[in-house]
Amino acid sequence: MENPLHPFELHPFVHLSLLGVDISLNKAVLMMWVVVALVAGLLIAAGTSRRLVPRKLQSLAELLVEFIRGMILDTMGREGMRFFPFVSTLFVFILFCNLLGLVPGSFTVTSQIVVTAVFALFVYSMSIVVGFSLHGVKFLGILVPSGTPAWMLPLMIPIELVSQLARPLSLAVRLFANMTAGHTVLAVLFGMLVSMPFIPAPLAVKVGLFFVLVVLIVMRRRIVASAGIVGLILWWCLIPVLLSIIWIRWLPFVVSIAINGLEVFIAFIQAYIFSILTCVYLGDAIHLHGHEERAH
Amino acid sequence: MPPSTDPFYAGLGQAVRIGTEMLAALIVGGGLGWLVDTYLFSSGPWGMVAGLILGAFAGVRNAYRMAQRWPK
Repeated sequence: MENPLHPFELHPFVHLSLLGVDISLNKAVLMMWVVVALVAGLLIAAGTSRRLVPRKLQSLAELLVEFIRGMILDTMGREGMRFFPFVSTLFVFILFCNLLGLVPGSFTVTSQIVVTAVFALFVYSMSIVVGFSLHGVKFLGILVPSGTPAWMLPLMIPIELVSQLARPLSLAVRLFANMTAGHTVLAVLFGMLVSMPFIPAPLAVKVGLFFVLVVLIVMRRRIVASAGIVGLILWWCLIPVLLSIIWIRWLPFVVSIAINGLEVFIAFIQAYIFSILTCVYLGDAIHLHGHEERAH
Repeated sequence: MPPSTDPFYAGLGQAVRIGTEMLAALIVGGGLGWLVDTYLFSSGPWGMVAGLILGAFAGVRNAYRMAQRWPK
């Protein structure tokens, strides 16, 4: 069986270097270019018509804008709207990387920890820069939760320091691990699709069973009508058994399709989590201690 | 569809986040303790022990803070 981790291997197509830095082209770089071109093309096409009553593409783009606007207003308040371009770019880019990675033969850029770690470090250092530029030295107060008694400070400051430093790590690892795990499961299932042994039976038997299967599917209503619930149960038991004797690989096939659907959902939810945590961290930097009173 | 509209999936997303949050805090705490042990004081395993305990506290605190922000 093929190594299920082989979809994550990168081999450069073209070797390039700039001032000693390796900038070779590989699948991940090309995929990012495709994502950027696709997103830019779609959103520019959606934005040019500007109808009062939107068509399909424009209403999708309006849905996206409303969604991200609501996310920012919930977590950061009105002051956060200046980060709208940043957060929406991040969301759309990660979402399209995740979704396009599900197309067979393409590459999931977000399954490389380098990519997610650079995003996470950028977001986190941005929140620190924003915090220091808005609050000055008082921003160090983020290490002291509001209402801490003075004798607790030697304990609380290290704990808060660790919990702050854990933020970029959890941000990067979450996206990377979700993408890698899902694609590994898919690769294992598709590997089973190739390597699972057939049930040995003569071809004539298989052809005969195939006709029985067709008859069973066509006659389903009449079987249920004449034999009632017993007939229905029998029908549901017989179909997979017959199918397995003819072609056992229907099992990994069906499961891999179901997992693919789950992966589409995970692509959405991970892009959403990444961008909402970006909002939360930036919001912490904007409202120093403000969030704990506003939380419900 | 925006993933937050269905309350079940929004809740699932929230729940999945907590695990990573606690693990990351633990790793950072242990890592900081190890760095202190190796490069600052050569203080045996005690830096890492203290770091892991701090990391566990910080992880619980992060999870708690996240649960406070739970959407209505």
